[in-house]
Amino acid sequence: MLLGIDVGGTHTDAVAIDMTGDAEVAASCKVPTHHDDLLRSVTEALAAILAEVDKDAVTQLNLSTTLSTNAIVQGKTEDVGVIVSSGPGIDPHNAMPCKDFFVIDGSIDHRGNEVRALSARQLERAVDACRENGVRVFAAVSKFSTRNPRHENTIRRMVERAEDQEGNPLADFVTLGHQLGGALNFPRRVATAYFNCSVWRLYNDFVTAVESALEEMGLGHVTVNILKADGGTMPLSQSRTMPVQSIFSGPAASVMGIIALTDIFHDSVILDIGGTTTDIAVFAEGAPLIEREGIDIGSHPTLVSALKVLSIGIGGDSAISVAGSGTVRVGPNRLGPSVCLGGTHPTLTDALNVLGASAIGDVDKSAQAIEVLASAHGLSGPDLARDAVDRASETIYDATRELVEEINSKPVYTIHELVEDKRVVPKKIYVVGGPAEAMKMDLFRRFQLSTEVPENYGVANAVGAALTRPTWELELFADTQRHTLFIPSLSYRENVHSSYDLEDAKKDAVNQLTMQLDSMGVFLQPEDAQITHASSFNMVEGMSRVGRNIRVKCQVRPHVVAVLGGR
Amino acid sequence: MLKANNKLGIIFFPAFDWAISPTHPERQERLLYTQDQLREEGIFDIEGVEEYKPDVADIEDVERVHFCFPDVNSVTTRSHRISAGGAMKAADLVMTGERDCAFAMVRPPGHHAMKVVHGSRGFCNINIEAVMIEHIRETYGHKRVAIVDTDCHHGDGTQDVYWHDPDTLFISLHQDGRTLYPGSGFPQELGGPKARGRNINIPLPPNTSDEGFLMAMERVVMPILEDFKPDLVVNSAGQDNHFSDPITNMNFSARGYAALNEMLKPDIAVLEGGYSIQGALPYVNLGICLAMAGVDYSHVREPNYNPDQIKQDDQTTAYIEELCRQLPKLYFDPPAFDPKGDSRQGVISGNQFIRHKQIYYDTDGINEVQQESLTLCDKCRGLYKVETRADSGPLCLGVEIPIDACPDCKSKGYQLVEDGLIKGGYRYVQLINRKDKDYVRYGF
Ligand SMILES: [Zn+2]
Ligand SMILES: [Zn+2]
Repeated sequence: MLLGIDVGGTHTDAVAIDMTGDAEVAASCKVPTHHDDLLRSVTEALAAILAEVDKDAVTQLNLSTTLSTNAIVQGKTEDVGVIVSSGPGIDPHNAMPCKDFFVIDGSIDHRGNEVRALSARQLERAVDACRENGVRVFAAVSKFSTRNPRHENTIRRMVERAEDQEGNPLADFVTLGHQLGGALNFPRRVATAYFNCSVWRLYNDFVTAVESALEEMGLGHVTVNILKADGGTMPLSQSRTMPVQSIFSGPAASVMGIIALTDIFHDSVILDIGGTTTDIAVFAEGAPLIEREGIDIGSHPTLVSALKVLSIGIGGDSAISVAGSGTVRVGPNRLGPSVCLGGTHPTLTDALNVLGASAIGDVDKSAQAIEVLASAHGLSGPDLARDAVDRASETIYDATRELVEEINSKPVYTIHELVEDKRVVPKKIYVVGGPAEAMKMDLFRRFQLSTEVPENYGVANAVGAALTRPTWELELFADTQRHTLFIPSLSYRENVHSSYDLEDAKKDAVNQLTMQLDSMGVFLQPEDAQITHASSFNMVEGMSRVGRNIRVKCQVRPHVVAVLGGR
Repeated sequence: MLKANNKLGIIFFPAFDWAISPTHPERQERLLYTQDQLREEGIFDIEGVEEYKPDVADIEDVERVHFCFPDVNSVTTRSHRISAGGAMKAADLVMTGERDCAFAMVRPPGHHAMKVVHGSRGFCNINIEAVMIEHIRETYGHKRVAIVDTDCHHGDGTQDVYWHDPDTLFISLHQDGRTLYPGSGFPQELGGPKARGRNINIPLPPNTSDEGFLMAMERVVMPILEDFKPDLVVNSAGQDNHFSDPITNMNFSARGYAALNEMLKPDIAVLEGGYSIQGALPYVNLGICLAMAGVDYSHVREPNYNPDQIKQDDQTTAYIEELCRQLPKLYFDPPAFDPKGDSRQGVISGNQFIRHKQIYYDTDGINEVQQESLTLCDKCRGLYKVETRADSGPLCLGVEIPIDACPDCKSKGYQLVEDGLIKGGYRYVQLINRKDKDYVRYGF
């Protein structure tokens, strides 16, 4: 039995999937999300599920949570000491993510040569300043650390040696930039390391609480994984040092859910209409698109890889308002739940009730509330409801068109490969989420495309969470002139011979990826590891070849472990 | 987050699968570290800076500019046409207003490729700036264009392509031809009789550093540009003036290159040479990108940069100051063409300008002899004709009817081609009719 829980903005959805035969949903539930107590949402959802399935049959729980996202959005994060060495280039202060930001002299070049050693004196002063400011978590980032992490390691050693006023270790946690991945992009590395630290304590407290809650509920034997924004999972223990990877994993859960619930072959649009937001994703030839480099958190581009998803403020709980001119608006605000479910302000769900598209909660209350709002503006109730639903589907349609246009104007990558010179032309719409069925016909009329609402549409995100498998990627760099091999995300270094070549590098990359997943308790089929980039350059000095510069990228791509309905 | 003052488009085509030979300076590795540096700096995350894919130049885009013998496919590879297509993409971005300026960081380079092409000279096969500029004129209407060539080598190919064009101003700053390939680029090379003063050469002495380059820019290039009032400024951006370049002897720095571009404000920059692929290119290209985008570049510095060590001496400064006094006159008040002068500069016989040239293609080891002629017409810039032979190969004919051709020159052009085909004994004949966009080749 696989459990999936998706803690969303409005609801926390959970499913149990029975894997004994064809994968089938054995139980599902929706509970309200308590924003100030996410653990409670998780345990309530678990309790509801365990009322229907045997807890001893449960082997795995995949959890997607908005915890880190919310903390960042609401500014409830911890102060971080960000210590960087940048060398020449763009002024590193342009990448400054917070006030405790220190630039230390020192430089490493693109080959990984140390051009200038780190200034120990400046580093000491930076640590002193952090101590005075009460900083306890640190990000160490240097330019080209993915080629040579020496400066980041030096910063870490210095920070870890430091003590606070009481003589206790000053640093509770240190993030090293190169461990976040092998991609080149110093400002993104700085931002990612910063966010990783800023939510570290909050996130770890949550993980600890989840672990003890599971123990209490008799689920101590269950393997727990955390959803990532790239449409994969990571083991809970590993997520403790990589909390930033859990950010924006909610939309990924719905996308993976769609993959589990339907057969997508064409260019398609995926709409997940939730309580507060609608997430829009685009599939090219059946595969979801990913962000080229990483998502933006706040206004900071990061290295956190993610499926490409656009969120807009339209959902079942979106409040309906009427402007002075009689123009009907839906969202982006949420003013509590729908009237039919005990709220006070009419919502999109109430409007759908009035139109007969749904029958959620107390339908009469929906009608009364819509009527009151309508008459205050000289309208009829049904007209107002009609306008509201039209406005919602129009907003979704416009945003989708914009997203498709953006995708077509710039190269983006699918999970499989780069779509070269290919325009994405959606031929089908898939709709999931609570209001999916109720909105189906309106969306069909608006898009004029075949529109499908799969079975289990209400908990597609939780299904996606439950069935998502781990992803992992690594980049390997070898420089046979310097006789070095380096895999940044594993901090793995090795000496290589002058004759080391691209084939050796590909083999090593796959081996290291397999071993890493193995150590995380994840068994990998050999064909699951894919080489996505491999290049080798002769390096020449004078007129002779002095070595090879080799780059290999290897990944386990996002996928589900099973699809539903025996397909 | 950083925001650019100017919307900059970057077209990157490192041609990672193309090289002249594995250890040739113009090889796969050349833009590898530049790419690394730009990515690591996060330059594409700067608001206003966008990366674009190159286009591929068609055969016709090349035939609009060059007489290629035996044909375009024989003297180019796909990489050459993507490199030219990268420059064309940069032009389109700027011409359509999608970007304020654009930098095509492409290879292989092109500024040694002349009007006639039999093979590769100085690592160049087709002139990517010329292909770009004529694409602009064909697509967006006729423009006055200024090309400022900041490669260390004289841009002899570009000079040759535009020798007779009064609407194209070509200014080349380079290491003195007495000390470096291709050995040309002297002040007296001023352009044909119809375009005197439209070709300006600024030969700088070896070891010129930032001071000398920026002085020449300030005192020679900028005043001339101000007077010429181009619709477009193109920087033919070779980076081999760098103090660490292995095949030249100049002392220009990354920050100097950036300052030069800040002053020049090119609409389009196109990468040319530059062979210090680790110590210079990543920093120079970054500096140019930042300068074009209007972003602070003061932290860009080479790892081994020491301004005192590469500073030019007083004698060099004095020499450049003198150049700066004399050179502007060649544009503002060029000496009249001497019709009976040096035959390499061309002589006038009747209404024909005639010039004999010998061209050596050093990369491919080809010798070419050619005779070019221009009909001196009062109503247009004149009909261009070239007879050429590579080594002991067959004689070939090229005829170009200019964009502003008068009816007379146009019909004479077709006559020349017809006569050539019937009784000329040419193996290959190519016609470029810019006026009617008619590009024809004969002899396969
Ligand atoms: Zn050059
Ligand atoms: Zn004429």
